[in-house]
Amino acid sequence: MKKILVADDEMAIRLLYSEELKEEGYEVYTATNGREALDIIDKVPLDLVILDIKMPEMDGIEALRQIKKLKPDLPVLFSTAYDFKQDFATWAADDYLVKSSDLEDLISTVKKHLKE
Amino acid sequence: MSSERLAFLSQMVEVLTSTVSFGERLSNMVHLLARFLKVDEALYFGLDKGKDTLSLQISSRGPIAPQLRVEFQSGQGVVGAAAKTRQPQVAHREEEGVLAENILLDQIQPQFATLAAFPVADDNFLYGVLLLIDTNLRVFTPLERQAAHLTSLMLAGTLRQGLVQEEAKKRIAELSVLFEVGKAISATVELDDLLQRVVSTTAKVINARGAALSIIDTQTGETRVSSQYGLVPVAKICPTLPPAPAEAGSPAEIPFLEGQTSDAQGKVHYHLAVPLSFKGQLHGTLCVFDKIAPGGNHQPFDPENRQLMFTMAGLIVNALENALTYQQVEALAERNERMVRNLTALQEISQAMLTTVQEERLLDIIIQGLIQPSGLGFDRVQILEVDEAAQVLRGRKGAERPPEAPVLPLAEVLFLPLAAELPVSDWQIPISPGLGAMAQAVLRMRPVHQHPSRQQNAPAAPWPQSFDALEYFVVPLVVKDRATGVIMVDNQVSGRPLEPEPLHALQMLATQAALMLENAHLYSTIEANNRELMLIRERMLESDRLAALSSLASGMAHEIRNPLVSIGGFARRIAKLVEKDSPLRGYVEVIQEEVSRLEKLLREILDFTGENLSYFGDHNLDQLIEDTLPLIQRDLEACNIKVVKDLHPVPRIHCDDRQIKQVFYNLFQNARQAMHETGGTLTIRTFRQEREDGLYAAAAVSDTGGGIPLDVLHNIFNPFFSTKDLGTGLGLSIAQRIIARHYGHIEVKNELGRGVTFIVTLPIAKYCLVKDAGQSAALASALNTPSGGRR
Repeated sequence: MKKILVADDEMAIRLLYSEELKEEGYEVYTATNGREALDIIDKVPLDLVILDIKMPEMDGIEALRQIKKLKPDLPVLFSTAYDFKQDFATWAADDYLVKSSDLEDLISTVKKHLKE
Repeated sequence: MSSERLAFLSQMVEVLTSTVSFGERLSNMVHLLARFLKVDEALYFGLDKGKDTLSLQISSRGPIAPQLRVEFQSGQGVVGAAAKTRQPQVAHREEEGVLAENILLDQIQPQFATLAAFPVADDNFLYGVLLLIDTNLRVFTPLERQAAHLTSLMLAGTLRQGLVQEEAKKRIAELSVLFEVGKAISATVELDDLLQRVVSTTAKVINARGAALSIIDTQTGETRVSSQYGLVPVAKICPTLPPAPAEAGSPAEIPFLEGQTSDAQGKVHYHLAVPLSFKGQLHGTLCVFDKIAPGGNHQPFDPENRQLMFTMAGLIVNALENALTYQQVEALAERNERMVRNLTALQEISQAMLTTVQEERLLDIIIQGLIQPSGLGFDRVQILEVDEAAQVLRGRKGAERPPEAPVLPLAEVLFLPLAAELPVSDWQIPISPGLGAMAQAVLRMRPVHQHPSRQQNAPAAPWPQSFDALEYFVVPLVVKDRATGVIMVDNQVSGRPLEPEPLHALQMLATQAALMLENAHLYSTIEANNRELMLIRERMLESDRLAALSSLASGMAHEIRNPLVSIGGFARRIAKLVEKDSPLRGYVEVIQEEVSRLEKLLREILDFTGENLSYFGDHNLDQLIEDTLPLIQRDLEACNIKVVKDLHPVPRIHCDDRQIKQVFYNLFQNARQAMHETGGTLTIRTFRQEREDGLYAAAAVSDTGGGIPLDVLHNIFNPFFSTKDLGTGLGLSIAQRIIARHYGHIEVKNELGRGVTFIVTLPIAKYCLVKDAGQSAALASALNTPSGGRR
């Protein structure tokens, strides 16, 4: 069972994404900020990370930078309420998800990066 | 003393002091002497100075018969001898030669025996001779001689007194004439009238038959008779006078002519002429003819006559000088009046010009001022302006004075529109030397007066055929050493010559007009600049507002999107769990749809506020259109809209394909909405377009939806402006922003009643420098990750 980490400070989003991904058969871990995400990444052999950009304590862009140092091959997707925020750092992520109630985009993008 | 002698003397004194006429006194004296000496007869012979003869004038026996003429030459007989020697002479008949020499006296006293002649003279003059005749041989005693001598002295005294009195009378008469003439000169009578009076007076005073005044015309040199009186036997009697001496001091030095001429009948006439000269120049002559003696015979002119003639000539010269001065003063006054009138007009025009900064109004005022009779009164005016780039003068405005226009006060008429404008648009005159007065005026920056006489020699000016003036005046409009145009005036319609005063005024006006026109021009430029600045300011304010709106919108979007995604996401999850026939299913679907709508709005707001990353690459415009069309194909078909594609291969453009597709999507949507009720045709055409700054790929999207109402046309690119009930109003403004970010253009061609065409032009790749491209490449390499599209 593939392991996916969802890092978002919004509880509802964490819950929504977890439920959806679990339904697709993934094992889902959650974190409320970048620091927690890094802790989990350190402990758990993850297959994919979904990062919110704007989070307290450590935001998604800093978390991405650290993840890419530790585990360059671990796919990281940005998930944000901003539609293509003009921050060139986001370009380093493997993909970019715009938060939407239509979760099909989420599942297809995840599957694409897990090569399923 | 004997009583007889005493009686004689007292009677003599009585006669001498009596108030009877001189002639009577003389007769009485002669009679008294004859009686006292008891001689048969005493006679008085008067001396005629001119002829040097002595003629019988008085006899003691009473009046002399008119036919009796007794006249002695000086030296002839006792009478002539007494006159010549001024000594008493006594002769007796029997003496040798006495009878022969005095035979004339024989007809008075045929039996005369003794003759005694006594000169009648005083210290200076001889007046005549007193002659005593007796038929007896007599020897006069010393006492008798003394009485005769005394009588001759008394006769001389009386004669002198008479002459002096006559002279005085004549003098008084002359003076009163001169006084009258002088009065006439100083009065403002007409010159001709005055000259006539002087001429007639001269003739009357001299007692001449006629008089004439001849004046030399200073221009032609011809002599004409200006005034005449009485009998002028020869019409052109103005003898060629020797030139007057330069220092014509005393009248005696001025030459005069006395002589005689014959008239047509061969009759001889005597004349006396004096020159009229002043300031060393001969101006004519005053001439009198035929002085008449009391008997009706011609009489020679005497020095007094000459003196009078010189005086009269002096008066005439004075009068002529006065008249000349008066004429000059009058001409000067008239000129002054014209100048004042012109200056007043100038001032009014100048004031009127100050009331406006509108070029057209200024031109109207200037032209009215020039053509109105109450202004400078030219027939026609044309104003041309210099086109510096093309080096030509172009017609700007022209007008002529309408025939029979009422004369209105200038202050009113200046503000009226031009009644008779002239077509000047075809005036296009090259500014090059030798091409007529206008080019000359501009090049030399000086007025040019084209005289009709010089017209034939003037080179053919490249002017419209319709221009027919022979005389015209061109004055340049000069501002800061630069000719900006010309004003041309002429009087061709009325044929009047161009007078110097209005032309002078025109030159003064031109200086001010040039400045005022330049100011008006600057003002309109400033006004245009100001409008542009206002527009820019408005746009800046708008972009400020948009920036604020953007940050608000993106903040809000973030805050709203998270809960929205949760609501929508969970609603979907609920929908999956709810039975298909459960009433809950409908409710959940409503939630889902509403969330979708809100999400779409959010996306549009974020697109509009530019919170987007750009993904630039080289793309084919035709392909982008082809890719976009399917997204809206079904909608178009539903509205019965036909699509016509007129695509041509154009070079690739450097762009964010997603955004450009968005632009076309928005434009297609816009067209669909314009035609959704009526149906129609959507035409898409692509082509290359050359602009000043490079080569562009262009796409024209046209609909047949009837066009955009003019009152909303200016609003179509404004955010949140929408004529559609369901639209967000962001479609066209997003399209515009995207195109602007691509350094392209979006233009609208609105054909009311037909449709709208939006033309999108985007720079062709190799001409386009996009900052984002360079930046993204640099960053991508910094992060050591592949760059490029990620979607």
